[in-house]
Parts: sequence; structure tokens; C-alpha cells
Amino acid sequence: MAEYMLLLHEEPQDFSQLSPEAIQAVIGEYVAWSSKLEAEGKLVGGQKLKDDGGRQLSGWDGDFRISDGPFAEVKEVIGGYFAVTADGYDEASEIARDCPHLKYGGRIELREIEPTS
Amino acid sequence: MAASGEDRVRETMDHLFRQHAGQMVSLLARIFGIDKLDLIEDAVQDAMVTALKKWPYGGVPDNQFAWLTQVAKNRLIDRLRRGRSSAELGEADGVFIAGETPAIHFEGEIAEDQLRMMFACCHPAIPADSQVALTLKTVGGFSVSEIARAYLANEDAIAKMLTRAKKKLRESDVEMEIPASSSLTLRVDAVLRVLYLMFNEGYSASAGELLFRRELCFEAIRLCKLIARHSVVSAPRVNALAALFLFQAARLPTRTGSGGELILLSVQDRRNWDKALITDGLIYLHRSASGHELSDYHIEAEVAAIHSLAEDFASTDWPRVIECYGLMQARKFSPVVELNRIVAIGHLDGPAKALTELDSLGKHYLMTSFDLFHITNAHFLVENGENRKALASYRRALEFIRNEPIRRHVTERMTLLGDH
Repeated sequence: MAEYMLLLHEEPQDFSQLSPEAIQAVIGEYVAWSSKLEAEGKLVGGQKLKDDGGRQLSGWDGDFRISDGPFAEVKEVIGGYFAVTADGYDEASEIARDCPHLKYGGRIELREIEPTS
Repeated sequence: MAASGEDRVRETMDHLFRQHAGQMVSLLARIFGIDKLDLIEDAVQDAMVTALKKWPYGGVPDNQFAWLTQVAKNRLIDRLRRGRSSAELGEADGVFIAGETPAIHFEGEIAEDQLRMMFACCHPAIPADSQVALTLKTVGGFSVSEIARAYLANEDAIAKMLTRAKKKLRESDVEMEIPASSSLTLRVDAVLRVLYLMFNEGYSASAGELLFRRELCFEAIRLCKLIARHSVVSAPRVNALAALFLFQAARLPTRTGSGGELILLSVQDRRNWDKALITDGLIYLHRSASGHELSDYHIEAEVAAIHSLAEDFASTDWPRVIECYGLMQARKFSPVVELNRIVAIGHLDGPAKALTELDSLGKHYLMTSFDLFHITNAHFLVENGENRKALASYRRALEFIRNEPIRRHVTERMTLLGDH
């Protein structure tokens, strides 16, 4: 078993005009997805990252630079991540495939975490 | 997150968000003023979208309502600050910006806010035809698109209607308050009338999508119960109206077939009537019998109860049904009630008797263009063996039918009668 990182790229479709009823339904889909993983013991964790795009750091020594990250509007930010355990990329892909994020137009980057030992 | 995964899934079900939206709008309107309704609705929507962005990752908070309310309040205060001087924020500013907002709102308090909002939405200053939509939007948490789909109306038209109604709210300085006892009866009646229309729109369905119409019925029930539970505002007729709604709603699943076609009471599968709703209806009917008040809602609820409790169509207590319609007519004549009374007479005394009565009712100017009158007429003509005349009546009905399932029902009947 290995751990995998699901990096959820981009804002999915614009939810701002959804009715409360519809918003509840979408949250329900996400919760159902993560609850199932949790019940199967496959969910390690997940967190939302702030929409502000963060900071980009580069350079070293005298050439150190700090700038604002990509803006949420350009849809390049990572909205958040989930960490799961899976038996290889195939299973991890299966898990990621069911994530509602894809259904609503987002993109998921799947990375295996290199074990420290 | 203490709740198990399964519990959390369950927690997010049952229109909770929609109800929270209505509760938050009412709560914030009471605190910040109903004149800021547009800003308040935007802030509530923002809070909902924020939850959508956050909850999938971190999980659903234990007290969803408190979480959403806090976010909505903060958004609202941000917007008010951006737009106005803080003096204009008044008291609300000090209360909510300085420290942590008390997150606990007692259930009774929330219900009272919604009740006040209902009185505002059904205020005589608001055009009658917008009161239902305004109540659905602000108290019920329905979106413009959902209201439009229930009414089979254009979204723009509903949005414009709501804008006008909210303008009236502001211009007429409508207060969010429980009316003084001198006007309480009239104001409660106005609210009940709106709930009655809301339920009927969902139930009799002159148009619109089935799913969304049903939601109107259950929202009317929820709001009616909210009034019924209020110690000052409640009255026997409120309980009677709740009972009526519940009996009718119990039959909802059997009123339309899988293809959306209309299924008449006589052939509905009574085993599929919702027993829990009927039981609930009986509880409210019982409560409605306290005191001396007898309202139209009482009599209508009794008719609905008779149907709900009859083992099958044949064993319906028709004499009592006819008596009830007679009681209603004695209070205030209505040709529509008369039509119902004649239907009951037809079931008890046979088609010939019904046809005679229909003949004289047909002279009423409202009946000429009333599709159900012609359909009823045709029904009893068929029972009386007068197929040719029945066909003519059905044809007449087709001129006035606005509802697709009813139109299909009628054309099927006509085909059976040999119309090609």
C-alpha cells in the first residue's frame, strides 16, 4: 500500500448561482465520496487551500523573489487536496475518478507520495 | 467532526440548506432591517457557496446553521461597510463586529423570525399575485429558477415580480413584526391564504414540473405547522389548514402515473397513500376542533379526511361529504364547491341526478370556461350512456385545459368513446 495525493486543480464550474437546494446536493456528493473512502480506511486526510493563490517564491541568496500566486480567476490554483491510500496508481485512479470534482469540470493531479524509508 | 460518515451524509439531506437559507434571511432581516433584503439574500447565497467550497475537504461542521449564519453575517457587514458609513450600520454593527457572535439561536427564535417574515411577505401592501413567490423566495429559500419551474414561468418574469415586490416592501415600510391583536386575525388569514395558494399550485398543478410542484406542497405544510406551533398566532383554523394539507399530500404519490398522467381518486391505489401523513393530518384535525371556531378550512379538512379514511372509493361516506359541501355553500356560495357537491351527489344518487344539477350550474358564467365543469359533465354523461353528448362536452373542455396531464386524460377518454 502506498499513499497518494489528489491535487484538485481549478475551480470547478461556477457555483455562485446554484440554489441552496442544489448546493446541498453537490456537498452531499463530495461528503458521500469522502465518507465511503473513510469507511474503507482509505482516506488519510484532506484540506482546502485558500483561494487567494498564495505566494510564489523563487531565487536564492541575492536573487530571492516573492510574488503573488496565480489568481483564482485564472483557474490555475490548487483548490485543495486529499490524501488516500491505494494499492497502486490503478486503484488510486479509480478513487479519484469518482470524485465529484471531475464531474463539475475540475482537474485532478494524482501523485504517489515517496515513502521516507 | 464527531459524527460518523454515514451520519454526516444523512445530516446534509432533507432540504436543510433551503430551510437554512430561509431561516438566515429572516434572522438577518430582523437584525439588519428588511429594507436590506437584497444585500441579505446575496450574503446568504455567498455563505452557501463558501460552504460548498470548504465542506468537501474539512467535513461538515457540527452546527451547520451557526456556521452558515456566521459567514453570512460577516459578508453582510463587509458589504454594508463598503457601501455606507458605519453610523448607518447602527446597532447591528456594534453587536456583531466587536466580538464573537453568539452562535446559538434557539429554535423558537428562528421560527419567530420566519413568522415575522411571512407576515411581511403577505402584507396587504404587497401585490397579491407576488405574495406566494416572495414567501417562497425569502422564507422558503427557493431560488428564482425553482419558483419558475414550479410555475412553468419564465425566470425573468419571476425575478421581475420579486424585484417589484421587494420594492413595495421598502416603499411601504413594511415591518417584520407579529401584528397587533386588533389586526392579527386578518393578517393571519392573509398568510393562510398565501399558503393555501402555494399548496394548490403544487397540488392541482395548472402547470409546471412535478418535482418542483411537490416541493411547494411540503413547504406550505412546513410553514403552516410553524404558525400552528406559535402560541399567540396559532388558531383552530391554522390547525385545520395543516390537516387539510396533510390529507391531500398523503395522496400525492398516487395522483400521477409513471408517465405523468392524471390518476383519478376513484382508481388511485390507496395502499400507496402516505399513512404517516394521514396520521399527522388526524392529529392536526383533532387540534383544530378545540375552541368555537369553524372555518372553511375545517370543512375542507373534514372532506379530505373522509376520503383519506375510506377503505375504497365505493365506501366513501358520500352523505357526509355532501353535507360538508352544503355547509360550505351556506357560508359562502362558490360555483367550484357546488361542482364538487354535485360530483358527490353523482356518486351517491347516480348520474341522472348529477346531470340535472350540472345543467343548472352550467348557467353560471364561471362554469362556461371552466375545464373541470365540462369534464365532470362528460363523465356523468358517459355513466348515463350518452356518449355522443359526452364527446361534445370533452371537446368543449379541451378549449380551456391548460394542464398537460389533464389534456392527455381527456383525449384518452375521447379515443375510448370512439373519437378519431
